[in-house]
Amino acid sequence: MPSNRSRTLAAAALAPLLAVIAGCSTGTTPAVEAAGQPRSGGTLTWAVETEPITLNPHQYAQAKARLLVWNTFESLLTYDKQGKLVPWLATGWQAAPDGLSYTLTLRDGVTFTDGTPFDSAAVKANIDKLREPGYAPGVAAVQLRNLKAVEAVDPRTVRLTLTAPDVLILDFLASPQGAQVSPKSLREAKNLKAGGVDVVGTGPFVLDRYVPGQELHYRRNAGYDWAPPTATHTGLAYLDGITYRFLKESAVRVGALTSGQVQLVEGVPATDQPLVTGNRALRLTRELNSGSAYSYYFNTSHAPFDDLRVRQAFREAVDVDTVLKSVYRDTATRAWSVISPSSPLYDKSVEGGYSGDAAKANTLLDQAGWATRDADGFRVKDGKRLTVRLVQSAPFVRDRRDVLAQAVQAAVKQSAGIDLKVSLVDQGTALEAFERNEYEVFDNSRADTDAGAALNLLLHSKGGINRTRVNDPRIDQLLESGQATADPTKRAGVYADLQQQVIAEQALVLPLYAPADQIAASTSVGGVRFEPTAGVPASAYDLWISK
Amino acid sequence: MTATRAAARRLGAGLVVLWVAATAAYLALLAAPGDTVDTIVGDGADTPQIRAQIITEWGLDRPAIVQYLDYLLRLVNGDLGRSYLLQRPVAEVIGEQIAPTLTLAVAAAGLGVLLALLIAVATAGDRRPWLRRASSGVELLLVSTPPFLIGIVLLSVLSFRYGLFPVSGDQGIGALVLPAVTLALPIAGLLAQVLRDGIDRALDEPFVLTARSRGVRERTVLLRHALRHALLPAVTLAGWLFGILLGGAVIVEQVFGRPGLGQVTLTAVTSKDMPVVLAVVTLSAAVYVVVNTAADLTYLLVDPRLRRS
Repeated sequence: MPSNRSRTLAAAALAPLLAVIAGCSTGTTPAVEAAGQPRSGGTLTWAVETEPITLNPHQYAQAKARLLVWNTFESLLTYDKQGKLVPWLATGWQAAPDGLSYTLTLRDGVTFTDGTPFDSAAVKANIDKLREPGYAPGVAAVQLRNLKAVEAVDPRTVRLTLTAPDVLILDFLASPQGAQVSPKSLREAKNLKAGGVDVVGTGPFVLDRYVPGQELHYRRNAGYDWAPPTATHTGLAYLDGITYRFLKESAVRVGALTSGQVQLVEGVPATDQPLVTGNRALRLTRELNSGSAYSYYFNTSHAPFDDLRVRQAFREAVDVDTVLKSVYRDTATRAWSVISPSSPLYDKSVEGGYSGDAAKANTLLDQAGWATRDADGFRVKDGKRLTVRLVQSAPFVRDRRDVLAQAVQAAVKQSAGIDLKVSLVDQGTALEAFERNEYEVFDNSRADTDAGAALNLLLHSKGGINRTRVNDPRIDQLLESGQATADPTKRAGVYADLQQQVIAEQALVLPLYAPADQIAASTSVGGVRFEPTAGVPASAYDLWISK
Repeated sequence: MTATRAAARRLGAGLVVLWVAATAAYLALLAAPGDTVDTIVGDGADTPQIRAQIITEWGLDRPAIVQYLDYLLRLVNGDLGRSYLLQRPVAEVIGEQIAPTLTLAVAAAGLGVLLALLIAVATAGDRRPWLRRASSGVELLLVSTPPFLIGIVLLSVLSFRYGLFPVSGDQGIGALVLPAVTLALPIAGLLAQVLRDGIDRALDEPFVLTARSRGVRERTVLLRHALRHALLPAVTLAGWLFGILLGGAVIVEQVFGRPGLGQVTLTAVTSKDMPVVLAVVTLSAAVYVVVNTAADLTYLLVDPRLRRS
């Protein structure tokens, strides 16, 4: 499965990108809210960039749909600001010493908005449904790969038994795919896979209107009283209701905001940001996404990137800061690792490991045997030009990544005589190039909350999108132990080793930038925040509007 | 008798065009790089089960010619297939989005034709050369400006600055005004030129001289006699008009955040949802054929000379 779907995820996560003027707030909650004290009541309209493919959280595949998912659905666990798992619909969990089972206790008094009580039978019904063939195949094959059985011990206790230790199962329990859907919906919904008003959860809002292509409307769940500890308040949501309108053009979103037709927008590209920051009635906030940073992965299976020196030379040939500056002005955050700097698994010590040193790049290439140059200034060896191909699949090119590629192309040519050939093709052609091993550079980023999940796909020898084609027992072993280790400190250590291997030792990737999300909002709106760890806009639960 | 035969020939030609369009779309699907199953899966979930389902539903394990005939047979029966990305039948996806697009298209076409008539009648002949020159300039501008730009400008001024119209939504007729105007302007620009040329030509015809010499008022000459003659070439543009409406709707719906087929098409193309793309292509061809055949048949009714040709 994974290659298509994961690319979708990555691209969806990045869709909005980039940007944000230096000096704007990057904190999740400003110290003083312009909107004053929280108050109950009122309605808001929020313009979003992407219409969800599905409203069923089990089928979730777009990072841009998260802010909608959490309005109506909730998971058993969630992440706090430190990236630590905390209770939500589960009050706690216990791992068996051998790591082969997890016992969760469930919160009391929770009901789905169709009146169905939330209990262990409901949790079992959800997980059983997810494992039903053909329902959510991606989830069954990846996130629930090591799940052996789920058992309702008593109405408030659920036990998950695994075939192998797997801490990523907890990430699943905190993910939209692990969100709890009313068992009644699972049985009776008219179109369960697409979701809709008849697919309900336990969340602070109820979806009561969906006009495809136009908008979603949610009203407050009048019985809600089980906010997660990560929320800034408890009890009912502040807002009576909220409308999400699909406005795909960024200029139109910003125009709708400046003219007061909507109060919040997400996805504000660099070019539109002065309109927001220059307006005293508006405020711009942003947050880095978690998961993997946008990086170039080097295909090590054939020349020239089978030679470590050539990989190192390529990295030294690019002055990443200058390139980012020219493409994104001062709005992109440089990445030094495959893991986003906002992830708890990020290893800061890889920073500065290579420096965009053209002289060094040239020395390395000389040593690797690419010592002569042809008439066009490109390096040659045995009559063959030093050409590497980057194949970009057009539907996934966001954030002007095609322009970024041109800037990298110019940089490596000028500083080291490397011929980077960029081709922008349709997805079928791209997949064919990858299958046939006719590429040297692969670009990707993913928005998983736990970076370990992304790295399993990207760097494990059996990973679904292992486009470096690296097959290194040490890397596999580190990834497997990262997935099996529960202790956060030990786990961070494992991934630090992994990053050292991948970045410092083997130069498998050139990390470029850390994707970010932005929200621009009227100052009359309070409680604008991002979801901890994921770094994407949070649900509407904490939002309020001043009089 | 000859009239019936001429009509039958035009209907037959319409069916051939439809068949060619459906076949071309189908060949494009087969010619796409990669396995056909890959292409149909597109960006949707990709599992052995779904692959098996696609192979069964499309009958990919049968000989190519059987697959093709089966595809045509399903089309004839109105079965547009299934979107694996959206996990829904294509007919349902298109069905729920067709009304907003039709509303937009009808409003835009009506407005465009009305504007064109007004402009052409006001500027035809050589009564007010300055007005005619100014109008020609504006028409050229409207025809050559991308609808995207027209839409953004209209929005910036009338919606964002003066708040006269909402950017989108179900606020009723108000939300339809700007999208309809955006689409109507290029139509009006071109139709006005064609109509005016037609009127000018008609004004040079002997029958106009006759009418004038009978003392018929100039306005009546223009509206009753010249305009009627100018209408035929304008009707010929019906097919082109439809093309503008469909292509424009894709952009206008995107800019204004309106529901509709344009959005469906764009999403389907960018996410490689091939069953939906195929259906949209075939459907567009069908509408095109219907519009043009209807126009041709209208000629047959209107102009007896054509029945014999």
